[in-house]
Amino acid sequence: MNCGINSYQSLKKWKDEQILNLRLDAYALNELHDCVMKTVFKIALERMNGEKLPSWKFVWFLTGSGGRMEQGFLSDQDHGLVYETEDPEAATYFLKLGKEIADGLETVGYPYCEGNVMSSNPIWCQPLGKWKEQISDWMKEESWQTLRNLHIFYDSRVLAGEKEYIGELKSLIHNRIKNNSNLLSRLMETSMHIKNAIGPVGQLLPEEKGTHQGELDLKYTAFIPYVNAVRLLAIKEGIFETSTIARLEKLQDIKGYDAGMDRCKNNFATLLKWRLLSYKQTDTYNDTHFLQIKSLTKRERNELKRILKDGKNLHQFVIRTIEKGAV
Amino acid sequence: MDATFLMNSLWVMLGAILVIFMLGGFIMLEAGSTRMKNAGHIAGKTIFTFGLASLVFWAVGFGFIFGDKANFLVGLSNFFYSGAELEGMSLSSPVFFVFQLAFAGIAITIALGGFAERAKLSIYLIFTILFSAIVYPVVAHWIWGGGWLAEHGKQDFAGSTVVHLTGAMAALAATILLKPRIGKFNKDGSANNIYGHNQVYTALGVLILWVGWFGFNAGSTLSVEDGFFGFVALNTNLAAGAGAVAALIISWMVMGKSDVPTMLNGALAGLVAITASCAFVDTWASVVIGLVAGIQVFYSVRFFERKKIDDPIYALSVHGAAGIWGTLSTGFFATPELATVGKPGLFYGGGFEQLGVQFMGVAVSGLYAFAVSFIILAIAKKLMGGLRVTEEEEIMGLDLSEHGSYGYPEIFMAEENKRISS
Repeated sequence: MNCGINSYQSLKKWKDEQILNLRLDAYALNELHDCVMKTVFKIALERMNGEKLPSWKFVWFLTGSGGRMEQGFLSDQDHGLVYETEDPEAATYFLKLGKEIADGLETVGYPYCEGNVMSSNPIWCQPLGKWKEQISDWMKEESWQTLRNLHIFYDSRVLAGEKEYIGELKSLIHNRIKNNSNLLSRLMETSMHIKNAIGPVGQLLPEEKGTHQGELDLKYTAFIPYVNAVRLLAIKEGIFETSTIARLEKLQDIKGYDAGMDRCKNNFATLLKWRLLSYKQTDTYNDTHFLQIKSLTKRERNELKRILKDGKNLHQFVIRTIEKGAV
Repeated sequence: MDATFLMNSLWVMLGAILVIFMLGGFIMLEAGSTRMKNAGHIAGKTIFTFGLASLVFWAVGFGFIFGDKANFLVGLSNFFYSGAELEGMSLSSPVFFVFQLAFAGIAITIALGGFAERAKLSIYLIFTILFSAIVYPVVAHWIWGGGWLAEHGKQDFAGSTVVHLTGAMAALAATILLKPRIGKFNKDGSANNIYGHNQVYTALGVLILWVGWFGFNAGSTLSVEDGFFGFVALNTNLAAGAGAVAALIISWMVMGKSDVPTMLNGALAGLVAITASCAFVDTWASVVIGLVAGIQVFYSVRFFERKKIDDPIYALSVHGAAGIWGTLSTGFFATPELATVGKPGLFYGGGFEQLGVQFMGVAVSGLYAFAVSFIILAIAKKLMGGLRVTEEEEIMGLDLSEHGSYGYPEIFMAEENKRISS
């Protein structure tokens, strides 16, 4: 896909036209997001032209749902920068570029990240050496916040620049885990909360109140539980793929992970499909994860319940696997 | 003066003190269940309206309920009660008066619960006077003052109907006429949670009410004879416990979460329900009555919300729905030994007779309380330029709009304080 556009405004217009054609294809939708974001990056570089073009090597990566190629129609921005040399001039340049990118993405329709995971934030915009130190420190500290950062970083996917930097940094985490199983347990402890969606008598538990009354919060009852559980297995097994489906495919190939992974893969694909189908043009970002239960057929409802139960079982599986230390 | 007379007087005086202290429970319950900006108002009006209701009860309420020369609606003597001993009493008459006054105070407090967070202070004032003069005394006269329902053998030991249902029906009239609070319902018809500001207050309020209820129910024996008040207290406690347990379980079963406000409502619903039947039923029946009340209150809250009726402190469900169930429950569970008023219930070979009386009592009393309250408020709405504060006042909170000062000044006057301290 190439959109050949050179201003944020016309890019936004183009994106808004294109995006609604992609109701049925989550993969194509993410290709579109990639194309838009890469174009934003290109425009941002051009707008930095007052500065000299960077002679340093660098990589710009996406993380969050963008990193996992799991964005819906609307999505906020999560991204960071790694560059080659420790040099004050480079630091100034890349922070400025990061700010330009964040503003550009915002203009095109990706709201700023509330958690400030953006290339304009010095924590997420550093030279490679500093990144290595930082990741080591995060792993040493094992606090709630630093473990969250590790989770976020592990979903990083390269959109522009030197691919190997990210692999190098992810290896640090995987290697540490091989020698220190406690870190994996700590990562698990900070990412295994599930918003319960099935009641004691087997009924679905939609929102009780508010404008989403009667709708199921897919993000916290289904997406995040699957994403988190599968990410933990990926960290454990040193899988650098970022999308949940690709991670599950890799896991399938590893001895000991059985057909359950295949089922999870199909479940997750169904969730992605439902999210696209339930999108309304009036939705804001916070609306896009709610599924109107009444609009589902009885069969779909049963399927949803099964997917949610499988999600819980997957969690149990992850907990057992990590506690045992092996599959 | 004989010892029994003194003991009775002392016991019922203790009951009166406990019942009056229930107002403390209502203050905590209501303030905790609503927002900070209305806290001072809610606490303050509870004291004020009890004071006002006391004067009205002294002037006319007591006479209407218990006076001689009664017509169909009310008795007609003992107005501006002098404190004189009345004939045929086995306890001090002023003690009896204070005890009855306390009940009238609880009834108006329940009714005003339906006004929460949006009614003008002047409406509280007018309604307190008229409810305490012509709504509560009529129902109380019918059932406790020797009126026509008493003659039918209506069983309402401590006032599931007289106090709780009457108060709740007035609250229903008020919520309908006042309309929901700003922000309670969305355009698409869905409801929002307007969270109470302090669940700890609410829970403490429930505990104070629970303890106060021993005065309410056990005190209603009006005597220490045979220590029967202990049995009444036992039944009362069992129903409260069963209500709390049932409500917690049903909220967990249906919503997947053990909801604290629902559980608290369950305890109160158990108490309200057992109020009519506490002296007439066996202990196991108290448990059943409480369990049913706990489940009922959960569904009742959901029912009113679906009907777009905004009941901020759940007065309709806790006092209304449970009041009805409690009154009917004696029609099922009253035992031949304990039914000193009326007949045994359906499950004890009494057939449908007592159940029918209970049903009639609930229906007529409820309708009367609703209709008269509705008329009072509808007229007030016309004459006084509406029942509600303006939208602006509602947003700023009734503490400021009605009283000019905040219950929590440091929270709301932070800017001002900063200016002073800097």
